[in-house]
Amino acid sequence: MTIVSPETPTASPDAPTGTGSPATRVLGGLALAAVALAALYGLVWSPADVEMQDSVRLMYVHVPAAVFTYVGCVITTVASIMWLRKRTAGWDVLAGAGAELALVLVILTLATGSLWGRPTWGTYWTWDARLTSTALLAVLLTGYLALRRLDLDPDARSPRVAILGLLLVPNAILVSRSVEWWRSLHQRATVTTLDPQIDGDLLVALMCGFLAMALVFVWLLVHRFRVGWLEHQAGRLDLDQALADRRAEGRAAVAGTAPDTGTGPGTGTGPGEDTGPGEDTGPGEDTGPAASPPASSGTGAAPAPAAPAATEVTA
Amino acid sequence: MTALTIAMTHAGYVAAGWGGAVVLIGGYAVALLRRGRRLSRQVPPGERRWS
Repeated sequence: MTIVSPETPTASPDAPTGTGSPATRVLGGLALAAVALAALYGLVWSPADVEMQDSVRLMYVHVPAAVFTYVGCVITTVASIMWLRKRTAGWDVLAGAGAELALVLVILTLATGSLWGRPTWGTYWTWDARLTSTALLAVLLTGYLALRRLDLDPDARSPRVAILGLLLVPNAILVSRSVEWWRSLHQRATVTTLDPQIDGDLLVALMCGFLAMALVFVWLLVHRFRVGWLEHQAGRLDLDQALADRRAEGRAAVAGTAPDTGTGPGTGTGPGEDTGPGEDTGPGEDTGPAASPPASSGTGAAPAPAAPAATEVTA
Repeated sequence: MTALTIAMTHAGYVAAGWGGAVVLIGGYAVALLRRGRRLSRQVPPGERRWS
């Protein structure tokens, strides 16, 4: 295996220097075009709502962000299940990527929802079932990502992270169904029904928002997955480098403790501070093997003679 | 466009929502690309399977 230090330039001139590829560049261009279309339709071409007036334009960001928060949670939970079955790094990296995207989008959902709520409900925040459960989902995602960042052995960390990841979909279901299970100020589902109760132009604007968010989500997910994969590989290479360094240190230490470097039985500083048979100072002052770590500081060839000396003293 | 924005009701909330979305997602995307470039210098090209 090739060991590479961070300072070593490794990439050939033709190799990509990031997480991009021709496919992601095409996808990124499509995503930017879709964002531009969604902005034009959502901010300019679509009419204001009769009741919400122009604050309805916030829904073209808020609703897609909320839906793709759920998608991120589903990706994390499915990847966690797959990691528990397969135990391969790719599933672990995918679970982390989905959760990080879900956290970004749930923050956006909460922010745009609050901005919409102020002119519509008269308040930025209320302890409504939907809002509270969404905030709890954000807390859970934050805790999940914090657990991933703990400096633990990967064999100990990954199972705990995967088990926590299993909770994301149940929590997302709780958020989604909260408006039906409890009395809520938040409106019920309008676009997921077969007959959406929403005007044509507003529906088209919302669909443009969904299209843009979908493309942006996929682009971000691919890049975040690749970043996670690079982090995994860099960590593995760091570990290999550390092991190689320790082996080199060990070889150097063995070479440095050759017999000709010792000072012999009489003056050697072998195990502990035992001064050997000739200079034994009696039971009270003998600091032989029992009082010193074996071979930790010994540099001479004294160990063999030192042990009998101590035995003689204690006998 | 400016006249349209001024004519819009709740224009400040709408601008804050859309602007915040662009800043949040755009900032996150830029941070991801920078992390990817930094990390890719530490990993041999053979480990980058998309290359």
